[in-house]
Amino acid sequence: MNVLNFDSEQCERIRQRLDAYLSNELLVETTSDVLRHLERCEACTRELEARSRARDALRRAAENQIAPEELRQAIQRRLRESHIGFLGAPRRLAWALALAGLVVAMLGAIAAQHWIKVVEGRRIVAGVLALGVSDHLQCAIKGHNYPDIANPPELLRKKLGPQYAGVLEVVQKNLPGFEILEAHICSVQGSPRKYVHFIARGRDTILSVILTKSDGVQLPNGTMLRSGTSGSVNLYEAHLEGMNVVGFESKGYLGFVVSDLNRDTTVQIARTLAPPLNAALQTTS
Amino acid sequence: MWRATSLLENVQERHPVPPPQRKGDLREIDLFFHSKVQVEEFEAATMAHFPALYRTARLLARESAEAEDLVQEVYLEAWKSFHRFERGTNCRAWLFKILFHRLHHFRRRWAKAAKAEPFEKPEDQDSIMAEAPVPQEIRDKDVLEALGRVPIEFREVVLLADVQEFSYKEIAETMKLPLGTVMSRLSRGRKLLRQELAHVAGSYGIRLGNNQARTGESA
Repeated sequence: MNVLNFDSEQCERIRQRLDAYLSNELLVETTSDVLRHLERCEACTRELEARSRARDALRRAAENQIAPEELRQAIQRRLRESHIGFLGAPRRLAWALALAGLVVAMLGAIAAQHWIKVVEGRRIVAGVLALGVSDHLQCAIKGHNYPDIANPPELLRKKLGPQYAGVLEVVQKNLPGFEILEAHICSVQGSPRKYVHFIARGRDTILSVILTKSDGVQLPNGTMLRSGTSGSVNLYEAHLEGMNVVGFESKGYLGFVVSDLNRDTTVQIARTLAPPLNAALQTTS
Repeated sequence: MWRATSLLENVQERHPVPPPQRKGDLREIDLFFHSKVQVEEFEAATMAHFPALYRTARLLARESAEAEDLVQEVYLEAWKSFHRFERGTNCRAWLFKILFHRLHHFRRRWAKAAKAEPFEKPEDQDSIMAEAPVPQEIRDKDVLEALGRVPIEFREVVLLADVQEFSYKEIAETMKLPLGTVMSRLSRGRKLLRQELAHVAGSYGIRLGNNQARTGESA
Protein backbone atom coordinates (compact mmCIF):
# COMPACT_ATOMS: atom_id res chain seq x y z
CA MET A 1 0.00 0.00 0.00
CA ASN A 2 1.07 3.55 -0.59
CA VAL A 3 1.29 6.18 2.06
CA LEU A 4 0.31 9.42 0.42
CA ASN A 5 1.94 12.65 1.22
CA PHE A 6 -0.59 15.03 2.66
CA ASP A 7 -1.65 16.82 5.77
CA SER A 8 -2.58 13.61 7.46
CA GLU A 9 -4.52 15.03 10.35
CA GLN A 10 -6.84 17.10 8.24
CA CYS A 11 -7.19 14.45 5.54
CA GLU A 12 -8.01 11.90 8.19
CA ARG A 13 -10.78 14.12 9.49
CA ILE A 14 -12.19 14.80 6.02
CA ARG A 15 -12.06 11.18 4.94
CA GLN A 16 -14.14 10.18 7.88
CA ARG A 17 -16.82 12.43 6.47
CA LEU A 18 -16.61 11.56 2.79
CA ASP A 19 -19.26 8.86 2.88
CA ALA A 20 -21.66 11.03 4.82
CA TYR A 21 -20.90 13.78 2.31
CA LEU A 22 -21.86 11.45 -0.55
CA SER A 23 -25.03 10.54 1.31
CA ASN A 24 -25.85 14.18 1.86
CA GLU A 25 -25.91 13.63 5.59
CA LEU A 26 -23.54 16.41 6.66
CA LEU A 27 -24.52 19.69 8.19
CA VAL A 28 -24.11 22.69 5.92
CA GLU A 29 -20.99 23.92 7.74
CA THR A 30 -19.32 20.52 7.63
CA THR A 31 -20.13 20.21 3.93
CA SER A 32 -18.38 23.54 3.34
CA ASP A 33 -15.33 22.28 5.26
CA VAL A 34 -15.21 19.15 3.12
CA LEU A 35 -15.59 21.11 -0.12
CA ARG A 36 -12.90 23.61 0.87
CA HIS A 37 -10.53 20.76 1.63
CA LEU A 38 -11.31 18.91 -1.60
CA GLU A 39 -10.54 22.03 -3.63
CA ARG A 40 -6.94 21.88 -2.57
CA CYS A 41 -6.35 18.18 -1.84
CA GLU A 42 -5.98 15.98 -4.86
CA ALA A 43 -5.53 12.79 -2.82
CA CYS A 44 -8.83 13.25 -1.01
CA THR A 45 -10.56 14.15 -4.26
CA ARG A 46 -9.32 10.88 -5.75
CA GLU A 47 -10.50 9.09 -2.65
CA LEU A 48 -13.93 10.68 -3.00
CA GLU A 49 -14.09 9.59 -6.64
CA ALA A 50 -13.13 6.06 -5.68
CA ARG A 51 -15.81 5.88 -3.05
CA SER A 52 -18.38 7.34 -5.38
CA ARG A 53 -17.37 4.83 -8.03
CA ALA A 54 -17.64 1.94 -5.58
CA ARG A 55 -21.07 3.12 -4.58
CA ASP A 56 -22.19 3.44 -8.21
CA ALA A 57 -20.89 -0.03 -8.96
CA LEU A 58 -22.78 -1.42 -6.00
CA ARG A 59 -26.01 0.31 -6.93
CA ARG A 60 -25.73 -0.77 -10.54
CA ALA A 61 -25.01 -4.38 -9.62
CA ALA A 62 -27.86 -4.46 -7.11
CA GLU A 63 -30.33 -2.90 -9.49
CA ASN A 64 -29.36 -5.13 -12.38
CA GLN A 65 -30.60 -8.12 -10.46
CA ILE A 66 -33.85 -9.29 -11.92
CA ALA A 67 -36.77 -9.60 -9.54
CA PRO A 68 -38.60 -12.72 -10.73
CA GLU A 69 -41.85 -11.88 -12.47
CA GLU A 70 -43.28 -15.24 -11.41
CA LEU A 71 -42.88 -14.28 -7.77
CA ARG A 72 -44.69 -11.00 -8.32
CA GLN A 73 -47.47 -12.82 -10.12
CA ALA A 74 -47.68 -15.47 -7.43
CA ILE A 75 -48.10 -12.80 -4.77
CA GLN A 76 -50.71 -10.93 -6.77
CA ARG A 77 -52.56 -14.10 -7.67
CA ARG A 78 -52.87 -15.11 -4.06
CA LEU A 79 -54.06 -11.67 -3.14
CA ARG A 80 -56.66 -11.45 -5.86
CA GLU A 81 -57.93 -14.99 -5.75
CA SER A 82 -58.49 -15.30 -2.09
CA HIS A 83 -58.73 -11.65 -1.11
CA ILE A 84 -58.24 -12.06 2.58
CA GLY A 85 -57.49 -15.74 2.18
CA PHE A 86 -53.93 -14.53 1.73
CA LEU A 87 -53.87 -14.23 5.47
CA GLY A 88 -53.05 -17.88 5.50
CA ALA A 89 -54.24 -20.59 7.81
CA PRO A 90 -57.95 -21.31 7.72
CA ARG A 91 -59.56 -20.28 10.96
CA ARG A 92 -62.06 -23.04 11.26
CA LEU A 93 -62.72 -22.43 14.90
CA ALA A 94 -63.18 -18.73 14.32
CA TRP A 95 -65.75 -19.14 11.62
CA ALA A 96 -67.50 -21.94 13.44
CA LEU A 97 -67.80 -19.60 16.40
CA ALA A 98 -69.01 -16.87 14.10
CA LEU A 99 -71.66 -19.15 12.68
CA ALA A 100 -72.74 -20.04 16.17
CA GLY A 101 -72.72 -16.35 16.94
CA LEU A 102 -75.09 -15.69 14.09
CA VAL A 103 -77.78 -17.97 15.35
CA VAL A 104 -77.29 -17.39 19.03
CA ALA A 105 -77.34 -13.66 18.47
CA MET A 106 -80.57 -14.04 16.54
CA LEU A 107 -82.08 -15.99 19.37
CA GLY A 108 -80.94 -13.41 21.81
CA ALA A 109 -81.97 -10.52 19.62
CA ILE A 110 -85.42 -11.83 19.22
CA ALA A 111 -85.80 -12.63 22.89
CA ALA A 112 -84.52 -9.19 23.69
CA GLN A 113 -87.14 -7.55 21.51
CA HIS A 114 -89.74 -8.00 24.14
CA TRP A 115 -88.10 -5.50 26.36
CA ILE A 116 -85.70 -3.48 24.25
CA LYS A 117 -86.80 -0.29 22.60
CA VAL A 118 -87.23 -0.16 18.85
CA VAL A 119 -84.02 1.76 18.37
CA GLU A 120 -82.06 -0.78 20.31
CA GLY A 121 -83.86 -3.53 18.45
CA ARG A 122 -82.79 -2.00 15.16
CA ARG A 123 -79.20 -2.07 16.31
CA ILE A 124 -79.43 -5.71 17.30
CA VAL A 125 -81.13 -6.80 14.10
CA ALA A 126 -78.50 -4.94 12.13
CA GLY A 127 -76.03 -6.77 14.31
CA VAL A 128 -77.57 -10.11 13.42
CA LEU A 129 -77.21 -9.33 9.76
CA ALA A 130 -73.71 -8.02 10.36
CA LEU A 131 -72.84 -11.35 11.89
CA GLY A 132 -74.18 -12.95 8.74
CA VAL A 133 -71.68 -10.85 6.85
CA SER A 134 -69.03 -11.81 9.33
CA ASP A 135 -69.74 -15.51 8.82
CA HIS A 136 -69.46 -15.23 5.10
CA LEU A 137 -66.23 -13.33 5.37
CA GLN A 138 -64.77 -15.42 8.14
CA CYS A 139 -65.55 -18.70 6.50
CA ALA A 140 -65.59 -18.10 2.80
CA ILE A 141 -63.25 -15.17 2.33
CA LYS A 142 -60.91 -14.91 5.25
CA GLY A 143 -60.76 -18.61 6.06
CA HIS A 144 -60.78 -19.44 2.37
CA ASN A 145 -62.59 -22.63 3.29
CA TYR A 146 -63.26 -23.58 -0.26
CA PRO A 147 -61.21 -25.04 -3.07
CA ASP A 148 -60.21 -23.03 -6.14
CA ILE A 149 -61.74 -25.75 -8.27
CA ALA A 150 -65.24 -26.72 -7.20
CA ASN A 151 -65.59 -29.90 -5.22
CA PRO A 152 -67.54 -32.47 -7.26
CA PRO A 153 -71.27 -32.64 -6.48
CA GLU A 154 -70.97 -36.21 -5.20
CA LEU A 155 -68.50 -35.08 -2.57
CA LEU A 156 -70.66 -32.13 -1.59
CA ARG A 157 -73.71 -34.34 -1.31
CA LYS A 158 -71.72 -36.67 0.88
CA LYS A 159 -70.61 -33.77 3.07
CA LEU A 160 -74.17 -32.56 3.42
CA GLY A 161 -75.55 -35.97 4.27
CA PRO A 162 -78.89 -37.43 3.16
CA GLN A 163 -80.93 -34.73 4.87
CA TYR A 164 -79.43 -31.80 2.97
CA ALA A 165 -78.00 -33.45 -0.14
CA GLY A 166 -81.18 -32.52 -1.99
CA VAL A 167 -80.85 -28.86 -0.99
CA LEU A 168 -77.56 -28.64 -2.90
CA GLU A 169 -79.36 -29.07 -6.19
CA VAL A 170 -81.95 -26.45 -5.25
CA VAL A 171 -79.28 -23.92 -4.34
CA GLN A 172 -77.25 -24.62 -7.47
CA LYS A 173 -80.32 -24.45 -9.73
CA ASN A 174 -81.48 -21.17 -8.23
CA LEU A 175 -78.15 -19.42 -8.24
CA PRO A 176 -77.80 -18.71 -11.95
CA GLY A 177 -74.29 -17.63 -12.92
CA PHE A 178 -72.76 -19.12 -9.78
CA GLU A 179 -70.86 -22.32 -9.25
CA ILE A 180 -70.99 -23.99 -5.87
CA LEU A 181 -67.44 -24.61 -4.74
CA GLU A 182 -68.12 -25.99 -1.32
CA ALA A 183 -70.95 -27.09 0.92
CA HIS A 184 -70.70 -28.41 4.41
CA ILE A 185 -72.44 -28.77 7.70
CA CYS A 186 -70.79 -27.49 10.77
CA SER A 187 -71.60 -27.31 14.40
CA VAL A 188 -70.09 -25.81 17.48
CA GLN A 189 -68.77 -27.83 20.34
CA GLY A 190 -71.29 -28.16 23.12
CA SER A 191 -74.28 -27.35 20.93
CA PRO A 192 -76.48 -29.69 18.94
CA ARG A 193 -77.24 -26.89 16.45
CA LYS A 194 -76.20 -27.47 12.85
CA TYR A 195 -75.36 -24.91 10.21
CA VAL A 196 -75.48 -25.56 6.50
CA HIS A 197 -73.10 -23.41 4.50
CA PHE A 198 -72.90 -23.16 0.72
CA ILE A 199 -70.05 -21.19 -0.85
CA ALA A 200 -70.51 -20.19 -4.46
CA ARG A 201 -68.37 -18.30 -6.94
CA GLY A 202 -69.64 -16.16 -9.78
CA ARG A 203 -69.82 -12.59 -11.06
CA ASP A 204 -66.25 -12.08 -9.86
CA THR A 205 -67.05 -12.70 -6.26
CA ILE A 206 -67.74 -15.25 -3.57
CA LEU A 207 -71.24 -15.58 -2.20
CA SER A 208 -72.46 -17.50 0.82
CA VAL A 209 -75.79 -19.10 1.55
CA ILE A 210 -76.14 -20.02 5.22
CA LEU A 211 -79.03 -22.00 6.66
CA THR A 212 -79.90 -23.10 10.13
CA LYS A 213 -82.97 -24.58 11.77
CA SER A 214 -84.89 -21.82 13.48
CA ASP A 215 -86.17 -24.14 16.21
CA GLY A 216 -89.21 -21.97 16.63
CA VAL A 217 -87.36 -18.66 16.43
CA GLN A 218 -88.58 -16.04 13.97
CA LEU A 219 -86.87 -13.11 12.36
CA PRO A 220 -88.44 -9.92 13.68
CA ASN A 221 -91.39 -8.45 11.84
CA GLY A 222 -92.22 -4.83 11.48
CA THR A 223 -90.46 -1.83 10.09
CA MET A 224 -87.05 -2.30 11.54
CA LEU A 225 -85.55 -3.05 8.19
CA ARG A 226 -86.61 -2.63 4.65
CA SER A 227 -88.30 -5.90 4.04
CA GLY A 228 -90.22 -7.59 1.35
CA THR A 229 -91.67 -10.89 0.55
CA SER A 230 -90.98 -13.43 -2.07
CA GLY A 231 -93.80 -15.88 -2.36
CA SER A 232 -94.68 -16.52 1.23
CA VAL A 233 -91.12 -15.87 2.42
CA ASN A 234 -90.23 -12.71 4.33
CA LEU A 235 -86.96 -11.06 3.36
CA TYR A 236 -84.87 -8.76 5.50
CA GLU A 237 -82.01 -6.87 4.05
CA ALA A 238 -79.16 -4.70 5.14
CA HIS A 239 -76.28 -2.98 3.47
CA LEU A 240 -73.29 -3.20 5.70
CA GLU A 241 -70.00 -1.64 4.76
CA GLY A 242 -70.00 -2.74 1.18
CA MET A 243 -71.55 -6.14 1.81
CA ASN A 244 -75.18 -6.90 1.25
CA VAL A 245 -76.96 -9.42 3.34
CA VAL A 246 -80.47 -10.65 2.89
CA GLY A 247 -81.99 -12.73 5.66
CA PHE A 248 -85.04 -14.83 5.03
CA GLU A 249 -87.25 -16.94 7.08
CA SER A 250 -88.44 -20.19 5.75
CA LYS A 251 -90.68 -22.49 7.68
CA GLY A 252 -88.46 -23.99 10.30
CA TYR A 253 -85.28 -22.37 8.96
CA LEU A 254 -83.43 -19.09 8.90
CA GLY A 255 -81.31 -18.32 5.89
CA PHE A 256 -78.88 -15.70 4.73
CA VAL A 257 -77.45 -14.69 1.38
CA VAL A 258 -74.29 -12.67 1.79
CA SER A 259 -72.31 -11.03 -0.99
CA ASP A 260 -70.50 -7.89 -1.99
CA LEU A 261 -72.69 -7.58 -5.07
CA ASN A 262 -74.99 -4.57 -5.17
CA ARG A 263 -78.21 -4.44 -3.19
CA ASP A 264 -80.59 -5.15 -6.04
CA THR A 265 -78.59 -8.12 -7.23
CA THR A 266 -78.35 -9.61 -3.77
CA VAL A 267 -82.03 -9.11 -3.10
CA GLN A 268 -82.83 -10.60 -6.50
CA ILE A 269 -80.70 -13.63 -5.72
CA ALA A 270 -82.44 -14.07 -2.38
CA ARG A 271 -85.86 -13.61 -3.98
CA THR A 272 -85.09 -16.31 -6.51
CA LEU A 273 -83.57 -18.61 -3.94
CA ALA A 274 -85.87 -18.23 -0.96
CA PRO A 275 -89.14 -19.81 -2.28
CA PRO A 276 -87.62 -23.00 -3.74
CA LEU A 277 -85.41 -23.31 -0.65
CA ASN A 278 -88.48 -22.88 1.48
CA ALA A 279 -90.20 -25.70 -0.38
CA ALA A 280 -87.14 -27.93 -0.26
CA LEU A 281 -86.57 -27.31 3.43
CA GLN A 282 -90.15 -28.08 4.29
CA THR A 283 -89.89 -31.43 2.64
CA THR A 284 -86.55 -31.94 4.35
CA SER A 285 -87.95 -31.29 7.79
CA MET B 1 -83.94 -18.63 27.22
CA TRP B 2 -81.47 -17.57 29.89
CA ARG B 3 -78.91 -19.76 28.19
CA ALA B 4 -79.41 -18.05 24.85
CA THR B 5 -79.05 -14.65 26.45
CA SER B 6 -75.88 -15.47 28.28
CA LEU B 7 -74.46 -16.99 25.13
CA LEU B 8 -75.43 -13.86 23.28
CA GLU B 9 -73.32 -11.78 25.60
CA ASN B 10 -70.48 -14.11 25.04
CA VAL B 11 -70.85 -13.98 21.29
CA GLN B 12 -71.26 -10.26 21.21
CA GLU B 13 -68.01 -9.97 23.04
CA ARG B 14 -66.32 -12.01 20.37
CA HIS B 15 -68.17 -10.45 17.48
CA PRO B 16 -69.26 -7.02 18.53
CA VAL B 17 -71.58 -5.15 16.25
CA PRO B 18 -69.32 -2.85 14.24
CA PRO B 19 -69.72 0.76 15.32
CA PRO B 20 -70.17 3.40 12.61
CA GLN B 21 -66.96 3.59 10.64
CA ARG B 22 -64.69 6.55 11.01
CA LYS B 23 -62.41 7.56 8.18
CA GLY B 24 -58.81 6.52 8.65
CA ASP B 25 -59.73 4.10 11.41
CA LEU B 26 -59.68 0.77 9.66
CA ARG B 27 -59.95 -2.20 11.90
CA GLU B 28 -59.60 -5.84 10.99
CA ILE B 29 -63.32 -6.23 10.46
CA ASP B 30 -63.18 -3.44 7.91
CA LEU B 31 -60.70 -5.48 5.97
CA PHE B 32 -63.43 -8.05 5.41
CA PHE B 33 -65.87 -5.50 4.16
CA HIS B 34 -63.40 -3.80 1.91
CA SER B 35 -61.69 -6.88 0.64
CA LYS B 36 -61.83 -6.04 -3.04
CA VAL B 37 -61.10 -2.37 -2.78
CA GLN B 38 -58.40 -3.10 -0.26
CA VAL B 39 -56.61 -5.57 -2.51
CA GLU B 40 -56.50 -3.06 -5.30
CA GLU B 41 -55.37 -0.28 -3.03
CA PHE B 42 -52.81 -2.53 -1.41
CA GLU B 43 -51.39 -3.58 -4.73
CA ALA B 44 -51.28 -0.04 -6.02
CA ALA B 45 -49.38 1.06 -2.94
CA THR B 46 -46.97 -1.83 -2.55
CA MET B 47 -46.24 -3.64 -5.79
CA ALA B 48 -44.13 -0.81 -7.16
CA HIS B 49 -41.62 -1.59 -4.43
CA PHE B 50 -41.50 -5.28 -5.21
CA PRO B 51 -38.24 -5.14 -7.24
CA ALA B 52 -36.40 -3.16 -4.56
CA LEU B 53 -37.65 -5.46 -1.81
CA TYR B 54 -36.69 -8.56 -3.74
CA ARG B 55 -33.23 -7.26 -4.66
CA THR B 56 -32.51 -6.29 -1.09
CA ALA B 57 -33.80 -9.63 0.19
CA ARG B 58 -31.75 -11.46 -2.41
CA LEU B 59 -28.56 -9.72 -1.29
CA LEU B 60 -29.21 -10.57 2.32
CA ALA B 61 -30.45 -14.14 1.88
CA ARG B 62 -28.17 -17.02 1.12
CA GLU B 63 -30.07 -18.20 -1.91
CA SER B 64 -32.89 -17.07 -4.15
CA ALA B 65 -35.45 -19.46 -2.64
CA GLU B 66 -34.88 -17.86 0.76
CA ALA B 67 -35.27 -14.41 -0.74
CA GLU B 68 -38.54 -15.45 -2.36
CA ASP B 69 -39.87 -16.81 0.91
CA LEU B 70 -38.81 -13.66 2.66
CA VAL B 71 -40.52 -11.37 0.15
CA GLN B 72 -43.71 -13.44 0.24
CA GLU B 73 -43.73 -13.13 4.00
CA VAL B 74 -43.19 -9.41 3.75
CA TYR B 75 -46.27 -9.05 1.54
CA LEU B 76 -48.27 -11.33 3.79
CA GLU B 77 -47.29 -9.31 6.83
CA ALA B 78 -47.92 -6.03 5.02
CA TRP B 79 -51.34 -7.17 3.88
CA LYS B 80 -52.26 -8.20 7.39
CA SER B 81 -51.34 -4.83 8.81
CA PHE B 82 -52.34 -2.68 5.84
CA HIS B 83 -55.26 -1.29 7.82
CA ARG B 84 -52.74 0.16 10.23
CA PHE B 85 -50.66 1.72 7.48
CA GLU B 86 -51.14 5.44 7.53
CA ARG B 87 -52.18 6.54 4.06
CA GLY B 88 -49.93 9.16 2.60
CA THR B 89 -46.88 8.16 4.62
CA ASN B 90 -43.82 6.51 3.14
CA CYS B 91 -44.94 3.11 1.92
CA ARG B 92 -41.46 2.08 0.83
CA ALA B 93 -40.03 2.75 4.29
CA TRP B 94 -42.93 0.84 5.85
CA LEU B 95 -42.32 -2.18 3.62
CA PHE B 96 -38.59 -2.15 4.32
CA LYS B 97 -39.35 -2.00 8.01
CA ILE B 98 -41.41 -5.17 7.62
CA LEU B 99 -38.68 -6.72 5.51
CA PHE B 100 -36.11 -6.23 8.23
CA HIS B 101 -38.51 -7.40 10.88
CA ARG B 102 -39.04 -10.64 8.95
CA LEU B 103 -35.35 -10.85 8.17
CA HIS B 104 -34.64 -10.82 11.88
CA HIS B 105 -36.69 -14.02 12.21
CA PHE B 106 -35.13 -15.57 9.16
CA ARG B 107 -31.70 -14.78 10.41
CA ARG B 108 -32.13 -16.99 13.42
CA ARG B 109 -32.43 -19.85 10.97
CA TRP B 110 -29.30 -18.69 9.23
CA ALA B 111 -27.42 -18.08 12.47
CA LYS B 112 -25.47 -21.28 12.30
CA ALA B 113 -24.14 -20.49 8.87
CA ALA B 114 -23.15 -16.99 9.99
CA LYS B 115 -21.24 -18.39 12.96
CA ALA B 116 -19.23 -20.58 10.68
CA GLU B 117 -17.85 -17.48 9.01
CA PRO B 118 -16.03 -15.37 11.60
CA PHE B 119 -14.83 -12.14 10.17
CA GLU B 120 -11.70 -10.28 11.07
CA LYS B 121 -12.32 -7.18 13.04
CA PRO B 122 -11.15 -4.24 11.00
CA GLU B 123 -9.73 -1.05 12.45
CA ASP B 124 -12.44 1.21 13.69
CA GLN B 125 -11.35 4.36 11.96
CA ASP B 126 -10.69 4.95 8.33
CA SER B 127 -7.02 4.61 7.80
CA ILE B 128 -5.10 7.34 6.09
CA MET B 129 -3.37 4.57 4.22
CA ALA B 130 -4.52 4.82 0.67
CA GLU B 131 -7.01 2.11 -0.14
CA ALA B 132 -6.47 0.03 -3.23
CA PRO B 133 -8.33 1.77 -6.01
CA VAL B 134 -11.65 0.40 -7.08
CA PRO B 135 -11.32 -0.66 -10.69
CA GLN B 136 -12.96 1.59 -13.24
CA GLU B 137 -14.90 -1.21 -14.73
CA ILE B 138 -16.00 -4.05 -12.64
CA ARG B 139 -18.50 -6.75 -13.40
CA ASP B 140 -21.74 -6.84 -11.43
CA LYS B 141 -21.03 -10.41 -10.50
CA ASP B 142 -17.75 -9.40 -8.85
CA VAL B 143 -19.41 -6.57 -6.96
CA LEU B 144 -22.11 -8.87 -5.65
CA GLU B 145 -19.54 -11.46 -4.65
CA ALA B 146 -17.55 -8.81 -2.83
CA LEU B 147 -20.73 -7.65 -1.12
CA GLY B 148 -21.54 -11.22 -0.16
CA ARG B 149 -18.27 -11.39 1.77
CA VAL B 150 -19.28 -8.43 3.93
CA PRO B 151 -20.96 -9.73 7.12
CA ILE B 152 -24.70 -9.32 7.00
CA GLU B 153 -25.05 -6.78 9.80
CA PHE B 154 -22.86 -4.40 7.82
CA ARG B 155 -24.16 -5.42 4.43
CA GLU B 156 -27.75 -4.53 5.31
CA VAL B 157 -27.03 -0.96 6.36
CA VAL B 158 -24.83 -0.42 3.31
CA LEU B 159 -27.62 -1.64 1.05
CA LEU B 160 -30.17 0.61 2.71
CA ALA B 161 -27.95 3.66 2.54
CA ASP B 162 -26.06 3.29 -0.71
CA VAL B 163 -28.51 1.35 -2.89
CA GLN B 164 -31.91 2.27 -1.53
CA GLU B 165 -30.69 5.72 -0.49
CA PHE B 166 -32.53 5.83 2.79
CA SER B 167 -31.39 8.54 5.17
CA TYR B 168 -29.44 7.47 8.24
CA LYS B 169 -32.43 8.36 10.37
CA GLU B 170 -34.75 6.24 8.25
CA ILE B 171 -32.33 3.32 8.52
CA ALA B 172 -32.25 3.66 12.29
CA GLU B 173 -36.06 3.53 12.32
CA THR B 174 -36.25 0.67 9.87
CA MET B 175 -33.78 -1.45 11.77
CA LYS B 176 -34.76 -0.25 15.21
CA LEU B 177 -31.17 0.65 15.97
CA PRO B 178 -29.69 3.76 17.56
CA LEU B 179 -28.48 6.28 15.00
CA GLY B 180 -24.92 5.97 16.29
CA THR B 181 -24.94 2.22 15.70
CA VAL B 182 -26.21 2.73 12.17
CA MET B 183 -23.44 5.22 11.48
CA SER B 184 -20.68 3.06 12.87
CA ARG B 185 -21.96 -0.01 11.02
CA LEU B 186 -22.18 1.99 7.83
CA SER B 187 -18.67 3.28 8.23
CA ARG B 188 -17.31 -0.19 8.81
CA GLY B 189 -19.51 -1.83 6.19
CA ARG B 190 -18.50 0.58 3.47
CA LYS B 191 -14.87 0.12 4.33
CA LEU B 192 -15.17 -3.66 4.29
CA LEU B 193 -16.86 -3.50 0.92
CA ARG B 194 -14.12 -1.29 -0.47
CA GLN B 195 -11.54 -3.73 0.82
CA GLU B 196 -13.36 -6.58 -0.89
CA LEU B 197 -13.61 -4.57 -4.09
CA ALA B 198 -9.90 -3.90 -3.82
CA HIS B 199 -9.36 -7.66 -3.84
CA VAL B 200 -11.33 -7.75 -7.04
CA ALA B 201 -9.21 -4.86 -8.27
CA GLY B 202 -6.23 -7.05 -7.53
CA SER B 203 -7.66 -9.81 -9.61
CA TYR B 204 -8.26 -7.30 -12.39
CA GLY B 205 -4.73 -5.97 -11.93
CA ILE B 206 -3.01 -8.08 -14.45
CA ARG B 207 -5.65 -7.63 -17.06
CA LEU B 208 -5.80 -3.90 -16.51
CA GLY B 209 -2.03 -3.65 -16.28
CA ASN B 210 -2.35 -1.76 -13.05
CA ASN B 211 0.29 -3.05 -10.66
CA GLN B 212 -0.80 -0.72 -7.94
CA ALA B 213 -4.05 -2.58 -7.71
CA ARG B 214 -2.44 -5.92 -7.03
CA THR B 215 -3.20 -6.03 -3.39
CA GLY B 216 -5.21 -9.22 -3.41
CA GLU B 217 -4.63 -12.60 -4.92
CA SER B 218 -4.16 -12.26 -8.62
CA ALA B 219 -6.24 -14.22 -11.02
